[in-house]
Amino acid sequence: MNDKAAQIFAETYDRERAVLPGAGGWLARRRDAALKSFVEAGLPHRRLEEWKYTDLKQALEKAAFVPAPAHEGAVVLPDTAVASAFAAIDRHVVVFVNGRHRPDLSKAVRLPKGVELHSLNDVLHEQWVKELVERRFDDARQSENVVDLNTALMHDGAALRIRKGVRLDKPLHLLFLAADGGASHTRNLILLEEDADATIFESHIGGAAAFADIVTDVALGDEARLSHVKLQDEGAGAVHLATLRTRLAAKSRLSSFTLTLGCGISRTQNFVLFAGEGAQAHVNGAYALKAAQHADQFCVIDHAVPGCTSHTLFKGVLDGASEGIFQGKVIVRPHAQKTDGRQMTHALLLSRDAAMNAKPELEIYADDVQCAHGSTVGELSREAIFFLRSRGIPEMEARQLLVSAFLDEALDLVPHEAAREALKLLAAGWFADGEGRA
Amino acid sequence: MAAVRETVKTVGEVEKYKYGFTTDIESDKAPLGLTEETVRFISAKKSEPGWLLEWRLAAFRRWLTMEEPKWAKVSYPPIDFQDAYYYAAPKQSVKLNSLDEVDPKLLETYKKLGIPLTEQKMLAGVAVDAVFDSVSVVTTFKEKLREVGVIFCPMSEAVRDHPELVQKYLGSVVPTSDNFYATLNSAVFSEGSFVYIPEGVRCPMELSTYFRINEKQTGQFERTLIIAEKGSYVSYLEGCTAPQRDENQLHAAVVELVTLDDAEIKYSTVQNWYPGDEDGKGGIYNFVTKRGDCRGANSKISWTQVETGSAITWKYPSCILRGDNSRGEFYSIAISNGRQQVDSGTKMIHLGRNTSSRIVSKGISAGRSSNTYRGLVSVHRKAENVRNFTQCDSLLIGDRCSAHTVPYIETKNPGAVLEHEATTSKISDDQMFYCRQRGIGEEEAVALIVNGFCRDVLQQLPMEFAVEAQKLVGISLEGSVG
Repeated sequence: MNDKAAQIFAETYDRERAVLPGAGGWLARRRDAALKSFVEAGLPHRRLEEWKYTDLKQALEKAAFVPAPAHEGAVVLPDTAVASAFAAIDRHVVVFVNGRHRPDLSKAVRLPKGVELHSLNDVLHEQWVKELVERRFDDARQSENVVDLNTALMHDGAALRIRKGVRLDKPLHLLFLAADGGASHTRNLILLEEDADATIFESHIGGAAAFADIVTDVALGDEARLSHVKLQDEGAGAVHLATLRTRLAAKSRLSSFTLTLGCGISRTQNFVLFAGEGAQAHVNGAYALKAAQHADQFCVIDHAVPGCTSHTLFKGVLDGASEGIFQGKVIVRPHAQKTDGRQMTHALLLSRDAAMNAKPELEIYADDVQCAHGSTVGELSREAIFFLRSRGIPEMEARQLLVSAFLDEALDLVPHEAAREALKLLAAGWFADGEGRA
Repeated sequence: MAAVRETVKTVGEVEKYKYGFTTDIESDKAPLGLTEETVRFISAKKSEPGWLLEWRLAAFRRWLTMEEPKWAKVSYPPIDFQDAYYYAAPKQSVKLNSLDEVDPKLLETYKKLGIPLTEQKMLAGVAVDAVFDSVSVVTTFKEKLREVGVIFCPMSEAVRDHPELVQKYLGSVVPTSDNFYATLNSAVFSEGSFVYIPEGVRCPMELSTYFRINEKQTGQFERTLIIAEKGSYVSYLEGCTAPQRDENQLHAAVVELVTLDDAEIKYSTVQNWYPGDEDGKGGIYNFVTKRGDCRGANSKISWTQVETGSAITWKYPSCILRGDNSRGEFYSIAISNGRQQVDSGTKMIHLGRNTSSRIVSKGISAGRSSNTYRGLVSVHRKAENVRNFTQCDSLLIGDRCSAHTVPYIETKNPGAVLEHEATTSKISDDQMFYCRQRGIGEEEAVALIVNGFCRDVLQQLPMEFAVEAQKLVGISLEGSVG
């Protein structure tokens, strides 16, 4: 094996195999198989089409992350705008430090009847957990291979199950703090049964040079509704690899939004599988990058059944020598008639050294469908800046106005009003930090 | 039972590939298979100078180390490169001086194809270089072109008469190491057209080449090289057909275009190789590398293609926009029916300042075919003020075909404005109903609507071609509805 980083993970597995959660049960066998196929495939690199713009292998080799330690002592949340973004919202909070659940810092009390929230390790014996973990999507093998790494090494996560017809009373906030450097592997499982409803916030913060490997598996029952809002603002030395896999049953609705502000290298993968007719998925996101940041947004939306709707919009602002990537694919299977698929990606380059790569892809095997995709890349309109300046608005302010207006189109798609306003403030603050100045 | 009869009739018509006749002419073939000897044989047949033989051999040795590209969205059984003839020439003992001396059977073939090779061409004003299997049969209008200094001749003649030009430009746009099929072509190319437009000359007529694969089990590997000197202009047309055969035949051509300052090349293709039968048996594998290099400032290269034929098409006519203010255009109609597979598109590589490009691609898939647009727009760091507009629309006819769009957009310069949009849809019931209620038959209505869908591209074709292309659009879709 000439894949040094993969070897480190394999060694970690050999060492921790006996103490990882689920030892001796079905999960242990699943972990063995996952590690084997992960090692066979190796870490992804740029010669793989789905990783054309992101070399995870190189990034991990360079950083050579060791497993993150379990952080025992007191933890003080960083006093930043991002860390307190959702603070004003009445919500349940579950805190993970270095990828491990910290009940002492969490605050999720008096959950409604029919809402079951546990640490993943407490519910490993349950059938639904097994089903979600063992699930494969297979639409993008090269991207799904990294899920095997997570399956092999996952050590904690949140497991949320909401029973039929139950509505989660207030948003559930999963807060991940990287307090120390090193690799952590987290698995979250979310099962919304028929007609259940939930809003989940997920934020990733911390300045450590950490490797966060997160897989969130979601299953939505008939007519279930999930709104997922993710905020990522980790340190410049961090590598973030997040995969959200959602299976939608008939008439269910997914709204997923990701705001990416942090990390040296991040890859956000979104897999959506329509398994029942009449379902809707809104997969949106925004990113604002500076310095040498690199953010890759990857989504695959599989219309496997007729009559589903998917809308995707990603908008990015790139400053410094940052690099933004959008790779999206909408698949319309044979017989998936009456599909409505839309996929848009727009990027603004604020600096001479920034770069943008986009690959919005359509793969269509049915004829009675409405599918469109669009992509634009450009800089701030000089005329618009001139117009604002001619009205007495200073140039910096004019630029900030235009950048905020640009990102707002995407941010407006966050369904939760207070969360939407919080993210907008963050986006505006990103520019005002002086980082958005070309 | 009427419906059954009608179906039988339709199927009968579909089977008739209009150009599927073979011409019985004795031909002179290279031995079966591909070895260094084959390359030497071809080179010797063409009485080529040593440098070209070395060039071919270098390409051949390189080719042996290369792997077939697998990334395109097409599938076919592995090709046995040793089970093909790499050179086939109609046997003719004497050198020809005029059209009258050409084998009348050959002329008959061209007549069936409908190319204006004889007097009609005066009216059409088209100078034709007809390539039959591997050799160029006759080039018309040579005299008239010579007057203005335009060189338009078969590649082998150019190697003999203008070696300095060939040596300077051959492989300068598509290097021998470029890709599997281009390298293969470099090793075994047997014919093709050579065009040289001198400084400041506007070519007085449209130049045209007609390709036809006639011999069984042969591959056709032509190589076209067009050089437009400063301030010159040329419009070049290319048409292709092949007879109906059960086995698959390989067509791996290379086209290189070079424009210097203020020059313009307009390259139009109507590709109608045999697409194979209803079950996907036979047909041409069209694996072509086409690339233009806008080397000079203010130069322009425009590709227009109408792709209706071939079992498999793998073709990406590209522009390297090196000169400042240069412009690249790509207009394409790709129609697939039956079991055809198309993976086609373009690359626009922006290197110079103020370069612009425009891509309009219309894909129509019917039957059980698959039609993919794959394109790259890339802007380098130093390319200021780049503009690109890309539009690729797909139309699906029937529920067993597929349409895919795979665009790559890469930019490293903030001043670039790139726009890409794509839509996929089917022929709307309203449009069909409207046509039908006015007494237009179903197939005719489809042809009409599809022609409308393609209009942006058809308009880019030179007149003579536009008419033919419109008809071709109709013919290619026969049997796709109902």
